[in-house]
Amino acid sequence: MLTFIARRLVLAVPVLLGVVFVVMLTVELIPGDAVALMLGEHATPEAVARLRDYLGLDKPLLVRYVGYVGRVARGDLGRSIQQNRPVVDELADAWPATLELTCAALVISALAGVAAGVVSAVWPNSLFDGVARVGSLFGLSMPVFWTGLVLIVVFALWLPWLPVGGMGSLPHLVLPAVTLALPSLAMVARMTRSSVLEVLREDYVRTARAKGVAERLVVAKHALRNAAIPILTLLGLQAGQLMGGAVLTETVFSWPGLGRLMVKAIFARDYVLLQGAVLVFALAFVLINLAVDLAYGVLDPRIAHHG
Amino acid sequence: MAAEAPATLAADTWQRFRRNRLALIGLVVVALLAVAAVGAPWLAPADPARQSLIEKRARPSEKFLLGADEFGRDILSRIIYGSRVALLVGLLSVAIALGLGLALGCLAGFAGGWLDVVIMRGVEILLAFPYLLLAIAVVSALGPGVLNTTIAVGIWGTPTVTRLVRGAVLAARDSEYVRAAQALGATPARVLTRHVLRNILPTVIVYSTLFMANAILVEAALSFLGLGVPPPTPSWGLMVSSGRDFLLVAPHIATIPGLAIMVAVLGFNLLGDGLRDALDPRLRGQV
Amino acid sequence: MTRARLAFGMVLAVVLAAPILLGPGGPAEAQKRGGTLTIVRPTDPVSLDPQLETTAPGAWVYFNMLEPLLTMDEKMQIRPALATGYEVLSPTKVRFKLRPGVKFHDGTPLNAAAVKFTFDRALRGNPPARWASLAGSLSGAEVVDDLTVDVTTREPYGPILRTLAMYCTGIVSPTAVQKMGEGFSRAPVGTGPFKFVEWKTNTHVILERNPDYWGDKALLDRVVFKVVPEEGARMIALQTGDADMVLLPAPAQLPALSRDPKYVIHEVVGGRVVFAGMNAATPPLDDVRVRTALLYAVDRKAILDNILEGSAVPARGVLAPSVFGFKDMQLDRLYPFDRAKAKALLAQAGWTPGPDGILQKGGQRLSLSWLAARGRYPKDGEITEAIQAMFKEVGVEAKVQFLEWATVFTQFRSASFNHQMFTLGWVTSNADADYSLYALFHSKQVPPTGWNTSRYANPKVDALVEQARRSMNQAEREKLYGETQDILAKEMVWIPVYNTKEIVVTRANVKGFTVHPVEYNLWLGKTWLDK
Repeated sequence: MLTFIARRLVLAVPVLLGVVFVVMLTVELIPGDAVALMLGEHATPEAVARLRDYLGLDKPLLVRYVGYVGRVARGDLGRSIQQNRPVVDELADAWPATLELTCAALVISALAGVAAGVVSAVWPNSLFDGVARVGSLFGLSMPVFWTGLVLIVVFALWLPWLPVGGMGSLPHLVLPAVTLALPSLAMVARMTRSSVLEVLREDYVRTARAKGVAERLVVAKHALRNAAIPILTLLGLQAGQLMGGAVLTETVFSWPGLGRLMVKAIFARDYVLLQGAVLVFALAFVLINLAVDLAYGVLDPRIAHHG
Repeated sequence: MAAEAPATLAADTWQRFRRNRLALIGLVVVALLAVAAVGAPWLAPADPARQSLIEKRARPSEKFLLGADEFGRDILSRIIYGSRVALLVGLLSVAIALGLGLALGCLAGFAGGWLDVVIMRGVEILLAFPYLLLAIAVVSALGPGVLNTTIAVGIWGTPTVTRLVRGAVLAARDSEYVRAAQALGATPARVLTRHVLRNILPTVIVYSTLFMANAILVEAALSFLGLGVPPPTPSWGLMVSSGRDFLLVAPHIATIPGLAIMVAVLGFNLLGDGLRDALDPRLRGQV
Repeated sequence: MTRARLAFGMVLAVVLAAPILLGPGGPAEAQKRGGTLTIVRPTDPVSLDPQLETTAPGAWVYFNMLEPLLTMDEKMQIRPALATGYEVLSPTKVRFKLRPGVKFHDGTPLNAAAVKFTFDRALRGNPPARWASLAGSLSGAEVVDDLTVDVTTREPYGPILRTLAMYCTGIVSPTAVQKMGEGFSRAPVGTGPFKFVEWKTNTHVILERNPDYWGDKALLDRVVFKVVPEEGARMIALQTGDADMVLLPAPAQLPALSRDPKYVIHEVVGGRVVFAGMNAATPPLDDVRVRTALLYAVDRKAILDNILEGSAVPARGVLAPSVFGFKDMQLDRLYPFDRAKAKALLAQAGWTPGPDGILQKGGQRLSLSWLAARGRYPKDGEITEAIQAMFKEVGVEAKVQFLEWATVFTQFRSASFNHQMFTLGWVTSNADADYSLYALFHSKQVPPTGWNTSRYANPKVDALVEQARRSMNQAEREKLYGETQDILAKEMVWIPVYNTKEIVVTRANVKGFTVHPVEYNLWLGKTWLDK
């Protein structure tokens, strides 16, 4: 088990380094005079030279990369060009909001998705199943930003039950979390349904049923535990989807998180801040996948021994 | 035997596909989209860029079948023309993903060794980015616009194709059939075209269809954020974004384009699902 | 006019104005203390220090914390603020008497040294303040004694008093600046009725009442400025009670709100002209025929009726009517909406229709690059798109790039600005024509020195605005400015679209608030909440 964990951790390192490299590269793609544009009015020759030096634009790629990794490791992500504040401060202000939103969405999609999937699998081809399957298809196809706007129109304008945007108390969280959760919910429901159905067909479960155990217990004890692995993998993947969707949801609901910060940074050509935000997202994603991988190993000992 | 097999496969596939109602719906939707995109100049009742300020925010009526936006432009025409952007970005980005993925996958599979390791690590790293993030990063560096959006979405799709192709190449290399062919003097290129491609064709078709669905969503998202197509080109995502200010007074401006996105994505999803079930039910786990 | 008479006249003006201005005026309602006023507006400031921020998002906030020597009331009259009186010693020197016993929020006293510090920091800092370029010939301040300071100008400067009443010349606490360094930009310390509490980037800025204020203490306990970029969302916040006051409200909803007794619409014709600017330095816009044709191509009335929907008034020139020196350029008479005329002029200039309908000449398409922001001025994005479509109707293609205001602003201020069209709004902050005409149209005021983003150059105009600036004779100045505007009218480098109406919508329980023609002067010192 420990070797499994250690192996996984070690394998994650090159990926992390690679992610940092790609993020660094995106800044490289900026056309040449962008540095001067970034500084604008205060573009004294010294300031331009300083920023070029900081971005290391004149040094060879590898040197720049090593320097960047070093800075990241020390927690120095540079200073936001627009606000002239350290990027880590800007990110620190924003990430709790995104964390709150994605966690809420993940919980909703996991609970509701699994529940819907299980019910669908236990009573296949029923009305519920039919509605759920169609609903999932729609849920997968609806653009997150549109869903948000529709929910705002219905639940904040026509029926003024919930606030329209911004962060605040629990009611503020409801619409954004539901909006963000919907595509994941759909996927989880579909996946749960097919996984549970597959397990329900297996022999040993049939045997368990023949012994007279109540159907629900059968499902709960055997089917779900075995279906847990693919579901868990999916949830891990969904974490990434949720982070991408968070950018859109935060924009629609004026939710002050990393996603909205990132969009502002793009329009402000604040590449230093953008780089920091993208890095945080990507690293979080890698770490979540790693955690899912490890959990996978814990849940299914076979993987740990052979994996 | 070899000549017969594809015909039977296609016929078989079609039989299975035909019986799947949802898949047929998907096919119809995609066909309609294609017709709209190609036939836009003839189908659209009005010039999508022509403004008529005095008729701003008009409700659906005889003149504006789906209403007018805040500039008095016909929403129906803009939806029809918007399908061009959606399909264009979708098709081109699929082409990029397939092209790059094929090249890299073959390189990794055939060459093996350290090249294989480098490419696969690269794939892992690209896959490590949450879906919208990579597109955003590329577009923010290159600048907004149709071409850059396409490139961004294409790059995002490349890793999965690379993996698929590499897997197929590796499997083909080890198969008896190929070894026999090589013993008879077939070059790697021939092996590639006849066996590898034929084997992965079903998977690629399914993947491309499903990828189109995602490509349309990502393009819409980028345009919504203002990073995609610049105005006045009609893009569904951009239309939703500009309609946001009028949710209270004229919700149709934002909601109708969103419906178009949903229908298009749904169509490709249904079609992709249907193709996957029809081509080989066993593929379900892979793609 | 002799120096003595001028001095006497000015002092007299202040003395006479004082009773009107120091008394509150208006019906004597039972004012209530306490409460938090929540304000929603589209953008976060770049900084709360006038040294770095002169645009509205920052000014709205710091106007209540930092006070200048003088101020301008809603009728655009000068009134005393931190200075109680003044005396013109010479055409280049004015002596101000400071109000005694005034303290900064950090407890240090307001004195002449603080005034000198503020002006030195702004005018001679490295880099100089963003507002230095708005201060004309202001050159500095000299300490005479603790409560007396002499403000000097490089040359005789007619608009000196109005300049010192500008929102961005607020006096800062030298102690705080020296102690906080860069941090001052995010937490300024001044003398105003409110002081800084907290700034959460992109979310809110919070101010609280200053209990040691020298004048009438604020009635509110706290003010929260929230960022809500979408117009629709701001209006919804107002209706749900999440916000008490909306800046830059949605024009489409104003008619309905005006009929609803739960809300009050405060409006006044402002000092800002929003326009589509043309870069006259680069072809094809260096050809005055092309520029004129573009003016004929734009249906300004349609834009005002359908996009602004009564939330603004048509622009009558490059200045707003409330500005001293304003002359109605009669744009509707000179440049009526006439597509045929536009096309004819372009043809005259040698442009012929190409295969795709866009004009071309010598192989070059008539395609203009356009830089604009969205949400900085009411409907700026929509106006840009509308004009883009109108240009297309006469065969001119415009490629618009929309970026965030801060970036756009920075590009406008850069010497290497190379877009051909731009969307901008200009407010004459001190209500004196010099402020605008000099900075916008003098050939030496090309950015980053000034604001002549159009790179307009006409020696006659240069001479006129220079002379008008140096003169202390207001009648003469007015005449010179009239001539300037006559010349500009024939060689337009702008397509003026509208004159703002400063509109603020509040819930009916917000009292004691009066909207000011100058957008930045958002005074909350007398505002209170009727629970």
